[in-house]
Amino acid sequence: MARLYVDGNTARFTRKDICLVDMELFGGEKVEDLEPRRLFPVSGRMKYISLLDAEGKEHAIIRDVETLDPDSKEVILDCLREYYLIPKITGLLDRTEKYGILKWTVQTDRGVQQLRIRNRNADIKQLYDGRILVRDSNDNRYEIIDYRKLDKNSLRLLSADI
Amino acid sequence: MNTESVLTNKEVPGSIRDAFAEKLGPDEQLLFVVVGDLSLKADYSETALGVTETGFLVYDPERDDHVKTYRHEDVAEAKVKRMYGNARLRVDFRDGTHEDVFRFTYAVATLADMAATFIKNVADGKAPEEEYEVVRATYEKLMNVCPKCGRTLLHPGAECINCQSKGKIVKKLVKYVKPETKTLVLCLFLSVLTTAVALVPPYMTGRLVDSVLPDKNRKALLWIVIALFGTYLFQYLIGALRGYLLRVSGDRIVLSLRNDVYKKAQSLPLRFYDKTSTGSVINRISGDTNTIQAFMLRISQEVVVQFFLGVGIIVIMLILNWRLTLLSLIPVPLVVVGAKIFGRKILPFYRRIWRRWAGVVSVLTDTIPNIRVTKSFAGEERTVEKFKSYNNEWLNVDTSAAKISTVFPHIVSFFVTCGSLLIWSVGGGWVISGTGGLTTGLLVSFLSYASMFYGPVNFFAYLNDSYQHALSSVEKVFDILDAEDEADEAKGNCPPIRGRIEFKNVNFSFDRTKKVLSDVNITIEPGEIVGIVGTTGSGKSTLVNLLMRFYDNYEGEILVDGENIKNIDLQYFRSQIGYVQQDPMMFSDTVYNNIAYGKPDAHVEEVIHAAEVANAHEFIARQPDGYDTVLGERGVGLSGGERQRVSIARAVLKNPSLLIFDEATAAVDSETEHLIQEAIERLISGRTTLMIAHRLSTLRKANRIIVVDQGRIIENDTPEALMELKGKYYKLVQIQTMADQLAKSKAEEKFE
Repeated sequence: MARLYVDGNTARFTRKDICLVDMELFGGEKVEDLEPRRLFPVSGRMKYISLLDAEGKEHAIIRDVETLDPDSKEVILDCLREYYLIPKITGLLDRTEKYGILKWTVQTDRGVQQLRIRNRNADIKQLYDGRILVRDSNDNRYEIIDYRKLDKNSLRLLSADI
Repeated sequence: MNTESVLTNKEVPGSIRDAFAEKLGPDEQLLFVVVGDLSLKADYSETALGVTETGFLVYDPERDDHVKTYRHEDVAEAKVKRMYGNARLRVDFRDGTHEDVFRFTYAVATLADMAATFIKNVADGKAPEEEYEVVRATYEKLMNVCPKCGRTLLHPGAECINCQSKGKIVKKLVKYVKPETKTLVLCLFLSVLTTAVALVPPYMTGRLVDSVLPDKNRKALLWIVIALFGTYLFQYLIGALRGYLLRVSGDRIVLSLRNDVYKKAQSLPLRFYDKTSTGSVINRISGDTNTIQAFMLRISQEVVVQFFLGVGIIVIMLILNWRLTLLSLIPVPLVVVGAKIFGRKILPFYRRIWRRWAGVVSVLTDTIPNIRVTKSFAGEERTVEKFKSYNNEWLNVDTSAAKISTVFPHIVSFFVTCGSLLIWSVGGGWVISGTGGLTTGLLVSFLSYASMFYGPVNFFAYLNDSYQHALSSVEKVFDILDAEDEADEAKGNCPPIRGRIEFKNVNFSFDRTKKVLSDVNITIEPGEIVGIVGTTGSGKSTLVNLLMRFYDNYEGEILVDGENIKNIDLQYFRSQIGYVQQDPMMFSDTVYNNIAYGKPDAHVEEVIHAAEVANAHEFIARQPDGYDTVLGERGVGLSGGERQRVSIARAVLKNPSLLIFDEATAAVDSETEHLIQEAIERLISGRTTLMIAHRLSTLRKANRIIVVDQGRIIENDTPEALMELKGKYYKLVQIQTMADQLAKSKAEEKFE
């Protein structure tokens, strides 16, 4: 069966629940209770959004959220915002290292958070575009959008770990 | 219900405690509190879920009234919905409405799971007292962490392996240096000797300049030259001997360190390898141990020698001329301060270099063993490009480090050289004016000693650099040495195994993001042949991984013959299991040794018999080198089906009590499948057997089928009963029968 890709205004989405949407296709076909999930949560966050039902079966893929009509786009983005919690680290306030475990106190867009990093080599991934992905000891994710734009003190603290 | 205290994952803030107290009924008592970390709007915030015998309360500062209360009796369903980086406790009420009552990060997801189960079970009429016992056990297990580092302890009260061994680095390394103490002390003695002898020539030079040459005393000149010759000969002979001894003991140190790291790498649990690339482990065993060895020798030898040399020279210099000595010490504080700054700056670079280098090694370990795949997809150029880019990354960081590590010593040398200019100008002035009691010879001797003195100064300036370099290697090596071993607390407990297997309330997730197994309850009687079916990713292999004790961090219990498998000697337990994988791993060794891997002392005929049972003997006998055929890396030289039969022979030889086949015939053709099937049927008679299979035809001997779907056991009965049930198993059979028929008719078409 060919995969159904949704572009532009070939489909309309309405919010059903916090993370659920109803999809109405241009031809009139309706599918209810679909959960939008990113197929590329790291590399292409606004592209290729899979729409899954409660059984985990995929009903369609949105090629690019940006091409949807404004209301549908907002609905999908709201759902993704609710589903994916990846606080953006905007500054490092403190860094300590004891017994091989790193403890960072960070300022994020969600507030101040203290996190433990068990393995500096495996849990801090630096990407080529200046992005840094961080995983804490509880498997929560964080992101530094561009470490080069951090303040001087944060950079100084971070430089020990990247 | 009376409880001594309220169970909680951390101290409940006063404001939350007060807010809860206001809402509790007169006789209502909190049983447990889950202190959360996210508001419903996903901002970091102190929230809490408090549970009582009759209801639950949620504190969220972003709610208008902060606390909302709910009754258990109104609840139809309570479940944790895991999302990405956060999760919610969703409650369906009996009136048909639903609500996300509590939001949190994965830090408290397990406790929220437990709370959801408590709420649901009490709402369904189960006794709160019994449910509370489960809650208490979960809290005890979760709170069983090291107060220093927060790592989970092996058992309550256990000493934290991580903190216990994180003493001073030198203390840890002493263990490896200790066996070489005698040789190292001898080397040290030889060093002191050569150092002492090295102090003689400058003195002789002074005598030459001051008295022998002006007096034109040929005899004295000859004696001094002979003495100098003897000194040099002694110095270099002893130096060569010391170098040899040092090298040999250094090799022994690195050998024992490398052995220990390798041994440890063998006993690490699989979850260590889930998160650490094999490339970086290999890098630690091969490269980092060498760096540490070099550093240990430096610390145990050079530091002492250079220290004595420095002190010796200073004493002589003070005797020669104390004022000039003070002058020559002027650059020293600069060197000390500079070294400190340098150390701080260079460490992050060494860490970065290590990481980049581990990246380079990981490309190697990824691509060289997979060279066949690379070639078959014409991916050579891409691979080379990838390697180049990683290599360039390493070069960039190394170049940045080189700037610091080369510029700094040169700055030091510059100041040191300026120190000698001071001696020349001041000391030379004294010689010319005849003041200060300084002669030309004394000045020449003094300058020689001064230049020798800067040797130890330079050494100590560089020492920080090599210390920092070694420190980053030590960290990596001790990452392995200090990592927790596979838990094996029941060494020596080797009960006979009949083969009754029980999974009791087993829940498991590799990390906290997704539950892989939920509420698994199965009982398998001795001698039963059980087929495990389900779609890809449903959790079939995980079930087996838990039984094999590859992962121990699950909730619930797995019992074999009534005994928790965690209480059975790990090696003995695994030796009782015959495990045949879909893609059997072969070692680069003979076919014979590959079969005898699990029983190296097996008699030749036992091995041949095992091969016969596994339908492997015939193809082995056809090989020119028979059982001596040496397999290439990972079994190159044998077909997939042949490798599979060798691995079955391995299992036969082991004579195990339990047998596990994980998709054993998935990757072979029908004829080979038939041969393997035959071998399996011979092997399984009378043994408890678990067979994971996609091809349901493999399960024709199974007397029970377990269907796994999304980590849950959804069907568990005889094949006939499941066919009658017309559930998932029935559907799978239907689909496969249709597929088989289609394949058969296509094959017939082609044949015609």
